[in-house]
Amino acid sequence: MVEGIITDIQRFSIHDGPGIRTTVFLKGCNQRCFWCHNPETLSPKPELQLYLERCIACGACFERCPEGAHTLVDGEHHFDRDVCTGCGACAETCYARALVLIGETKSADEVVETVLRDRAFYETSGGGVTLSGGDPLLQPAFTEAVLSRCHEAGLHTAVETAANVPWERIEKILPVTDLVMMDIKLMDSERHREAVGVPNERILANARRLGETGKPLIVRTPVVPGINDDADTIRAIAAFAARLPNLVSYELLRFHAMATNKYDSLGMIYQAATLTAPTQEHMAALAEVARGYGIEVSHS
Amino acid sequence: MISHRSTPDPVYQRRIEALHATKKEHTDLKVKLYGHFDTDDHGYIPWTEPIPFEVIPNHPSGGCYGMACIGHNFRRWLEVHPLYIHPASSLAGAWVYKGIPGLGGFDLESGMGDPDRKKVSKPVDVSYPKSWKPEDRPTHLYELHRKYNTYSPGIGNKNHFGPDMRIGLELGWGGLLRKVRHFRELNHPPDTSFYDGEEDLILGVQTWIRRHVELAREMAAEESDPKTRQNLLDIAEVNEWLIDGAPRTFREACQFLVWAQDIDRMWALGGALGQLDELLLPYYEADIAAGRETDESIIWHLCSLFFNDPHYSQIGGQAPDGHDLTSRMSFLILEAMHRIRIPTNIALRVHEEMDQELLRRALEYMVEDGTGVDFALSGGLDEGFAKNGYPLGLARMRAKVGCNWTALPGFEYSIQDGTRLCLVTPLTLALEELLADEQAPRDMDELWRRYAEHLGIVVEAVKVGKDIHMERQADNYTEIVLNLFCHGPIERGLDAAAGGLDIIDLAFDGVGLATVADSFAAIEQRVVEEQRLTWEQLMAHLENDFADADDVRMMLHSVPRYGSGGSRADGWAERIAALWTHLVRDTPTPKGRYICIPGLFSHGGTNNYGKRLGATPNGRHAGAPVSHSADPDPGFLPGGAVALTAKANAVASTQSGWGNTTPLQVELDGKLVKSMGGIDAVMAFVMAHNRQGGTLINMNMVSKEQVLEAHEDPSTHPDLMIRVTGYSAYFNSLSREYRQPIVDRILAEN
Repeated sequence: MVEGIITDIQRFSIHDGPGIRTTVFLKGCNQRCFWCHNPETLSPKPELQLYLERCIACGACFERCPEGAHTLVDGEHHFDRDVCTGCGACAETCYARALVLIGETKSADEVVETVLRDRAFYETSGGGVTLSGGDPLLQPAFTEAVLSRCHEAGLHTAVETAANVPWERIEKILPVTDLVMMDIKLMDSERHREAVGVPNERILANARRLGETGKPLIVRTPVVPGINDDADTIRAIAAFAARLPNLVSYELLRFHAMATNKYDSLGMIYQAATLTAPTQEHMAALAEVARGYGIEVSHS
Repeated sequence: MISHRSTPDPVYQRRIEALHATKKEHTDLKVKLYGHFDTDDHGYIPWTEPIPFEVIPNHPSGGCYGMACIGHNFRRWLEVHPLYIHPASSLAGAWVYKGIPGLGGFDLESGMGDPDRKKVSKPVDVSYPKSWKPEDRPTHLYELHRKYNTYSPGIGNKNHFGPDMRIGLELGWGGLLRKVRHFRELNHPPDTSFYDGEEDLILGVQTWIRRHVELAREMAAEESDPKTRQNLLDIAEVNEWLIDGAPRTFREACQFLVWAQDIDRMWALGGALGQLDELLLPYYEADIAAGRETDESIIWHLCSLFFNDPHYSQIGGQAPDGHDLTSRMSFLILEAMHRIRIPTNIALRVHEEMDQELLRRALEYMVEDGTGVDFALSGGLDEGFAKNGYPLGLARMRAKVGCNWTALPGFEYSIQDGTRLCLVTPLTLALEELLADEQAPRDMDELWRRYAEHLGIVVEAVKVGKDIHMERQADNYTEIVLNLFCHGPIERGLDAAAGGLDIIDLAFDGVGLATVADSFAAIEQRVVEEQRLTWEQLMAHLENDFADADDVRMMLHSVPRYGSGGSRADGWAERIAALWTHLVRDTPTPKGRYICIPGLFSHGGTNNYGKRLGATPNGRHAGAPVSHSADPDPGFLPGGAVALTAKANAVASTQSGWGNTTPLQVELDGKLVKSMGGIDAVMAFVMAHNRQGGTLINMNMVSKEQVLEAHEDPSTHPDLMIRVTGYSAYFNSLSREYRQPIVDRILAEN
């Protein structure tokens, strides 16, 4: 039985590939984009989220926690994240869902069973299943198992990845993947390292190799103010994407600063909280720049 | 190309905007006069001047019963009924009260509403139904109804079946009058009161129309604007013809429909217009070919019709032989709906081979307007109705002409949307009974057995009431208006409720499915399996409404819920729905052997049912609303996921499958839909639910920010319309309490 750690199974996804899809979010990412709107997917391990506004102060977590991480201080629930081991015992008793252990171990069969529930909607829309995260290729066996089972069931399968993994992991899932969606955030490796914590040589190399496979490919760029929201950066990425023979389209994804709640729940600092989303006009202008390379471009 | 959008003509557009503005003014004034509607938007205009009318009774109680008395008084009412012509409308007429004072149990003082009155439907008592003679009321049933929280057992229910307006359009009022007289003579009944009453009604309508002709000419004489003056003269001419003649043109057809829908409304709050595109298409084609009308003028006539009243109508769908009915008229009706932007109750019939452009256009308008049509799904409706032993072609002819229901125009007596049973009360009674019986095993099988028994008792009681309804309705409250537009009543001299119609299938709607399914699941998981509390402790918490026990309430509330898929609660929902279907459908009424058709629909009654219920094992507080129709309760997927497909799967799994409706309520973020591929996805969603055997989708595309602002201060969004359930209404015509469950579900799903 192949298992993996997921954070969510999102149904009626319409932005993660064609048609109506179910998107499975896997835990773990080897980049650290400071604007990430899914911070709960960064760490590969289960973590505790605390939503204090939901707490009804029943005290059940105080009793259950073996590490004493939950205490009452001046009448308020205090959580010491440093001593928390992520066992999840407190979350099991938190019926108010103020404590949530994000990162659930599921078998591939369990995930596929949920995915198959929406088959009727995939059929009418040309949709299917998308594996995303985090980066699903950090759990390669689980990703392959889910994709295989879905593929066998006749579903359209897609993967969203930053492709910052050994090529062999990508190669292995291609026979059971109908569509690859990969991020290219910056062409300049040094700027890439500054923004997301890793260089981009491997990413671009994987993109070129994907280009040789013929597998339908969508390249995506999250457009982040001050990082890559200028015409020159987009031009460079578009030029690169245009040279990939299997490119279906290039998508510009508009940054939004709506992840404050998630960051707070994880005790993390949301560095992008004060950034302003690019305007629709600006996104349209960048899309027009990219179209200059003769490729299909869309923007959110 | 039939789908092209019309280019707005400034003259007509100004008139349409004037109608829109007046509708808003009327709505605001009606809310001031009568309080929040908390129901459908109705087209009656606010009227504060006294109307010189007193009913002439025929019963010691002061009431008026039976066709002769009703017809006579109806005619007298129309002779004094106010006159109304909006200069920007192409059509004359309006209605002013939700009933006729002294007739049909309508009392003016209490019947229109009261700004200070708390709107809670009363439990049935000796005054029910108000439209019946006191000695005819089956009061011996009422204790049982009260016990089971049944405040709408459907006795004395009126209207809520579909007329065939083609009858009226082909005959006109003069032709209808001749038909009545012809069959009175042909049948020569000893008691002619049936025909006398119908004759009186038609004569009253003709007088009313005649009075409007005079008014239109008076207004024209005083009108300085030449275009408006000409419009008023046209109104006079159209109506002068229609006093006796059958409609010849599109405008005359719309005007005829206005008169018909106005008398239907004032008598029975009826609201079924029919397959509107097919009704009007011949007139449209003839007028366009003759150069009498343009698409813009046609849109104006349609807007004038909608301004008069948001009667329920359907567009699209299939002919009996299966071919698609989409026409240019279908698109123009949608465009008129979009242009006037007031509540209109138009249903788009969805089937597998439908014109996708029509579906796309409806959704495009919905994106712009926040709401629009609802979607009547042939996938569940047609096969379900056919299962009762009817050909599929007949099933295709049913039109969605009510809040949640479809009916065969002119043939089917179904009394939809008025017989509702609470699915939750049998559980509370079963639980109390189980715990009072010390010998009874404390397990789910025993609880279920008792629940099924209680539900069976109340279903049977309502069936007994239905037999009584069929025996006594026509002697008390007649379908004096709809008889004229059905196949059979005039020909036979029998009221629609007394053998005038051939197909009788009485609709029953169950309320509160998610509340009871989640409750069963909570008991099974927390009490029986995990033993986190005993049965007695559970009962104590329910009786105390979870006082000082919010943790217990949350524990019960947090079990995997109906809609999450594969959960205990999903299993219970299917089981309860199957039991409900079996109890309603598998045995006819005891005396008349009438078949009964189950559905799951609450209208806006979730507050009312909830007010009379204590706390429930799903963590619901005492007095809080019960769940809506067969929808899972908001927040049923943990983590705040978007729940559309899961919700659709859940509702599909609980369809009764006999042609009655179990609607799916969908709240979409308009921004999401506007984004890449949004409309395509929603189209596919609608088609998929149709394939699943769904029966109806009610949809909104409002932003949660807008809804929250409007909820706090309705004046911030005076034009905001919402599809509450099967009907649309202005958001600010609903009370805060009524709005709350709507807001909750929009927030949960956005």
